[in-house]
Amino acid sequence: MRHIILYIVIFSTNIFAQDFLQQQLDEADLLFNSGKYYDAITEYKRLQFFDDQNIFTYETSYKIALCYKAGAKFDDAVKYFTLAENNTDEYKDIYECKTQIIRANILRRTTDRAHQLLDELEINPRFFYKKMDILYWRGWTYMFADKWEEAAKTFGKIKPDHQLKIIAENVESNKYSITVAKIISFILPGSGQVYTGNYLSGLISFGWNVLFGYLTIDAWNSDRMFDGFAIGSLLWMRFYRGSVQNAERFAIEKNLEIANETLRYLQNSYKGLKP
Amino acid sequence: MIFILLVFLPGIIWAQSSLDRPDIFSLENRLKFGDFLFSEEDYLRAINEYREYLRFTSNDSIRFKFAYALAEMGRTDEALDNYKGLFFSSSLSENARLEFYKVSFLNSESQKFRDLCNMEVYLPEEHKSEVNRLKLFTYLFDDSVLPDSTDFVNSFSKEDKSEVLSIYLKKKFPDYKSPEMAAIFSAIVPGAGKIYTGRLEDGITALIATGILTFLAYDNLKADHDFRGWLFAGLAALSYAGNIYGAAASAQQYNAGIRFNFENEVRVYLKNKNYFLPTDNFRHR
Repeated sequence: MRHIILYIVIFSTNIFAQDFLQQQLDEADLLFNSGKYYDAITEYKRLQFFDDQNIFTYETSYKIALCYKAGAKFDDAVKYFTLAENNTDEYKDIYECKTQIIRANILRRTTDRAHQLLDELEINPRFFYKKMDILYWRGWTYMFADKWEEAAKTFGKIKPDHQLKIIAENVESNKYSITVAKIISFILPGSGQVYTGNYLSGLISFGWNVLFGYLTIDAWNSDRMFDGFAIGSLLWMRFYRGSVQNAERFAIEKNLEIANETLRYLQNSYKGLKP
Repeated sequence: MIFILLVFLPGIIWAQSSLDRPDIFSLENRLKFGDFLFSEEDYLRAINEYREYLRFTSNDSIRFKFAYALAEMGRTDEALDNYKGLFFSSSLSENARLEFYKVSFLNSESQKFRDLCNMEVYLPEEHKSEVNRLKLFTYLFDDSVLPDSTDFVNSFSKEDKSEVLSIYLKKKFPDYKSPEMAAIFSAIVPGAGKIYTGRLEDGITALIATGILTFLAYDNLKADHDFRGWLFAGLAALSYAGNIYGAAASAQQYNAGIRFNFENEVRVYLKNKNYFLPTDNFRHR
């Protein structure tokens, strides 16, 4: 009987000793849920400091990482997600940490690293049942790497009419071909700029090429070979090359605008899971 | 017996748990947490913990670390005020004064720092020579008249003298290029001014471009193509004038680069030498 009472007393005091940590966790969670991430990190770190037995290390590290991610401090987020991963034995939690690290890598545009981590997940037999999930994040990685065609193919493997597949295909079809812009500028200076929607620039470029082309040919026709060569190489070729370079530059800029507009749309309007 | 135990047991358990449950927001625990954050270099959070602690307790070591954290976060004025609070009647007076001057050196204009050095009441007694060295280095960051080289160099130890002298001479005799000379060179020979400022490719390009445009102007006028002749003459004149202006601008850019690189070199040198200040491992006080 005495032993039973003793066990009850010891067990109860242990429960209450953990109670203050739970209270601290609840307060930190309140701050987290209110979006006060700086204060939430402070209180989670305080909990970690006083948690001698590392009971809450996984949970607090995970939450700290989410706070850093919300504040766009991705390096710190990855650090704490890794810490969380190392402090849990549950496969579900390990997978969650790994995908969060991948998502942080996507957001900070270290897409090669994201692909590497996805490859590791793919070959891990413990996560075989998460194949569709892994494909989903690979698709997002491609989108952030500006590889919309690959993104469309990846989302297509999940579902043939996946919403993100359609979006990626739209981007790919709306993009300007840099090769086409350059080639048509080679053929007709200024046309590459017109192709990318820069009409005034294309017209001016065309005008300069016509003027100096005329002066060059006219000089040669008048047997002023050095004149013709000087105007041709110094002025005509300069504007001709400039036209091709401009066509390329404008095509790249336009494509970047299209990609960024799509990413903004996904950020603000897409209802599915995002990095 | 059982009845008595059932009545009093919850009370005993509750009393015991109250004793065991630490108040993590107690002053002592705030200090422990603050020290932990400080050691992790999470200075912003450490400041908050130390501030709460110092509201109720006066502790020189903590105030010193508080000031250090403020300085690290760029809150210079607050840091300096807190260091000043330790100047008198504190065992950390010397350290505080030294850090005060170090923070002032890093964040004040050179002349302001020199004026501060003249306020002897603030100077650390045991580290006057260190502060004097910082004062000497301020002359390298502005356009004030440099002190005599002997006075400058003799303030440093034997092993540092040659490096310090080299830096001093770079400041006194900088390898500047004259914008006026660059413009004159380009006026005589197009492109020569740019070559003088080290931009060889630009200089040669300017020479060729101006030369060819001039020739084209001459050749077209000679062939009675007046419009073209005058068009190329205009372009040649523009190229010539632009080249003169460009040469002068190039010299100014060159000089700005010299100044920038010199100041960077001095900053890196000072940082590597810990600003010639003694190292103090106060983090674990």
